[in-house]
Order: sequence, then C-alpha cells, then structure tokens
Amino acid sequence: MRISLLSSAVAVALSLVSAGVFADVAAIKNKGEIVIGTLGTDEPNSFVDPKTRQIIGYEIDLGNEIAKDLGVKPVYKQIAVAARIPELQQGRVDLLAASLTHNKEREALVDFSNSVLITGQKALVKKSSGVTALDQLAGEKILTVKGGTQEPNILKALPTAKVVTFDTSQQALLALQQGKGKAFVDDESALTNDYAKIGAAAKGYAILPENLSTEALALAVRKDSGDLKVAVDKTLARLESSGEAEKLYLKWYGPGTKSNQAERHFKIDSDQVE
Amino acid sequence: MPDFDYSLLLSGQYHDMLLSGLMLSIKLACVTLVCSLPLALFIALLRLSPVRPLQWLGFAYVESIRNIPLLAHMLFWYFAAPEFLPESLREWLYAGNIEAISAIVALTLYTAAFMSEDIRSGIRAIPIVQLEAGRALGFGYLESMRLVVLPQALRVTIAPLISQTLNLWKNTSIATVVGVAELMYQAGQVETATFRSLESFAFATSAYLSVSLLITGAAAWYQHRYVQAKSR
Repeated sequence: MRISLLSSAVAVALSLVSAGVFADVAAIKNKGEIVIGTLGTDEPNSFVDPKTRQIIGYEIDLGNEIAKDLGVKPVYKQIAVAARIPELQQGRVDLLAASLTHNKEREALVDFSNSVLITGQKALVKKSSGVTALDQLAGEKILTVKGGTQEPNILKALPTAKVVTFDTSQQALLALQQGKGKAFVDDESALTNDYAKIGAAAKGYAILPENLSTEALALAVRKDSGDLKVAVDKTLARLESSGEAEKLYLKWYGPGTKSNQAERHFKIDSDQVE
Repeated sequence: MPDFDYSLLLSGQYHDMLLSGLMLSIKLACVTLVCSLPLALFIALLRLSPVRPLQWLGFAYVESIRNIPLLAHMLFWYFAAPEFLPESLREWLYAGNIEAISAIVALTLYTAAFMSEDIRSGIRAIPIVQLEAGRALGFGYLESMRLVVLPQALRVTIAPLISQTLNLWKNTSIATVVGVAELMYQAGQVETATFRSLESFAFATSAYLSVSLLITGAAAWYQHRYVQAKSR
C-alpha cells in the first residue's frame, strides 16, 4: 500500500516534470491543447461572466486567437496573483495571460511577449489652458496626490515642473478646477473615473494622450519554451496588422465599458519596457 | 533596531529637500509672527474699547476663529476663500505661490486670536488706576493706553506670547495639507522616495524640537535680562 502510494506520487511528479520540459510548440500541438493561466478576477482582462459562468475578457480573447493559430484547444486555468510565475515555471501552465506587468526584475524569470496593454499616468488639463501636449507643461504648476509614484514620475518627465501634492486626489482635482495648477496627474484608470465624475463640466477638460510613465501588461512563457514566444508574438502581430487588436481593445476597454477609454493610445509591437 | 542611515540626512538631494523644508517653515513662522502681533494687539484693544459695538466685534473675531480647528482654517483659506475674489485678482494670486499665501493668512488669523487674548489679559493685569492717572494728566484714551498701560502690559505678556509663538511654530506643519513644501511636507516626500520613514521624521522631529528650544531659550534670556531686573 505504502509502496503503491509512493510510486503513484513519483509518477505524478514525473508527469509534472515531463510537462515542464516539453512545452514548446511541438509539444503543445502534440497534446492538442494549450494551458493558459489567467486570473479570472480582473475585469476586463479576465473575469467570470455572471450569466454563462465562463471566464471571458481581453486576455481570454487574445489566448483564444493564439490557440486558434496553433490549431489547439485553449484550456484556461485560474490562478492566484502570487502564484502566476511559479505556476508557469513549474510547467502547470504553458502561457500566462494574467494581467502580468512586464518589468525588468521579472525578465530574469520568464520571457515576455509583446506588450498587449500599455497604461500609464496621464495629465488632465483644462481645455481653456490651451495645453495639448506634455511638453507644454514644463515649468508649470502640476497637481497630484501624495505618497504614490506620481510625483517622481512627473519630475522624471518634466524636471522643471513645480509639483504640488495633496492628501487626496479629490483635493488635487478641486485645485485644478479652481485653476491653481495647469494639470492634474494620476493613474489613467483613476483619471478616467474622476473625469466621469466631473459630470457636465467634463467638456471643458481633456486628458493628454501621452503617458508620463507607462506600465505594460504582457503575456509570458517559460524561459525554456523554445519557439512558443515566437508563435505568440506572431499571432499578436497578425491581430495588430489586421486591426483586430484595436477592435478587441475597444470591445473591453472602449466607450461604453467600465474603463470607457475613447481610443487606444498604444500598439502591440514591442516586447521592450523602460 | 533597524539601521539608521545618517548619510541620507547629512548630504545629497534628500538632505537638501529637508533643509529647504526647514527654511520654509521658519519663513512661514516669521512672516506669520510679524503679521499676527499687530493684529492681535488691535483685536485686544477692540475688546477693551469703551465702545460696545467694537467690543462685540473683537469678541466675535476671537470666538469664531479659535473655536474652529486650524486644519479647517487652512483648507478654507486655500480652497474656498480665494474663489470669492474677482477673477483678475484670483488669476494673479493663482499664478503666484497661492499655497504659501493661504497658509500665512490662515496661520496669522488663527495665531492672532490666541495672542489677542493673552495681550488682553496682560492689559487687564495693569491696575485701572494707571489708565485713570493717564487720563487725569490730560492724555486721551488711546494716548494713555500707548504711553502708560501698554509698555507695562506687553512686558508681562511676553511669557504667554512666547508660548503662542511655540504653538505657531508647530502649527506651520499643518500647511502641508495645502501643498506648502514646508518641513513636514518634505519629510513626507523623502519618506515616499526612500522608504526611510525613521530618518526623515527623525530629522523633522529634531528640527522642530531645536527651533522650539531656541525660542524657549530666547524667552528665558529675555525674562532674566529685562523683566526681573525692572521689577526689582
């Protein structure tokens, strides 16, 4: 009894190891499926549709396209935020599509695809100020929140700016409305939210298209997964050149969605980050 | 015991940030002190004036200002008050250092309310016969005040006024909420940038303490040099 238990444990371990070793394109095609790790809790990247109980989202659509190009079935596996990279490294998933931020530290652990979503910190300005580009804010007073990465990022992008920080983003926004500064800088998502809350007066405001700093989300594969990264990037390039990538972005992030972004300010064409 | 990085405080960009914060705090306190003393004296005289409506005016000022927290004053003078100004004046203000100006206005009004009460009690400590003697010599009310009562009253008021100055010095830290880059603000910025909370707030604490002790020391010296000698 004990021996059979032990041997089955060894068998399981072996199968895990073997799954880990052969995860390149040929192995995936052999299996007939690609296991994609996703969060399932991060709308609109991947979340459970309350009606169908299926995981849907921006990253899920991208994963489906990749599976289609490989000619295999996509299998989604829900994983926790902290488990993302370990699950990939241990071979339990072939591909991560899990709201993973591409940063320099993680490059040593996994291989990143081209960035599929680029967000960042942006500036909200009054249209009457005539400011339409970031560099017009040089030397001006810029308002933001204390404690985050906003202030260092503003000074990196605009070293001559005079930054005034407040305890809450509401106070900083109020100061902008009163004309106490030229721009209010915050994370893009927070800014869109605030913009919506201004209500009818929002017509008098604009969010500058350029990012002060960027955060890129990318798909990730194991370091030893051979030509899988190439295959993933090929699918992404196809989606980008056919315009489907833009459509997918607008479907999940565009007008009428919770994110309510008017347009896409990035392209899926680079796997480099700053 | 976490390691304490002195080098952060002794040189480099964070040292400069903290030092510029300290200088701005001292400037705020000095400008406020210079503005609030005459205002406090004026309010005290209002409250002691023989004319009833002036007394009420002084009373209303003191009670309305000192019963509202300084934080509320600060936010009011930064976010609300300037909005009532005519547009051209407002734009001129906003183009300048509106943060520091609002902070000085709030601190001045707040400090003056407390100081005026100390000055008033100082004046009341001088026997009424002194004023009557002045009037008997043919001086008017204001002249007897200026020449006879106030010189004696201000001398006994020094100790409580020093105490109010200490309060003012510490109250400058509230200006951080309207984005004035004073010592507390800079300590917060350095903490955000370096995650060195202990070092940055140790600097702020010791700076507040040192300046406070200097003020107390100056007060003790003044008492010893002038007040005691005169009363002997």
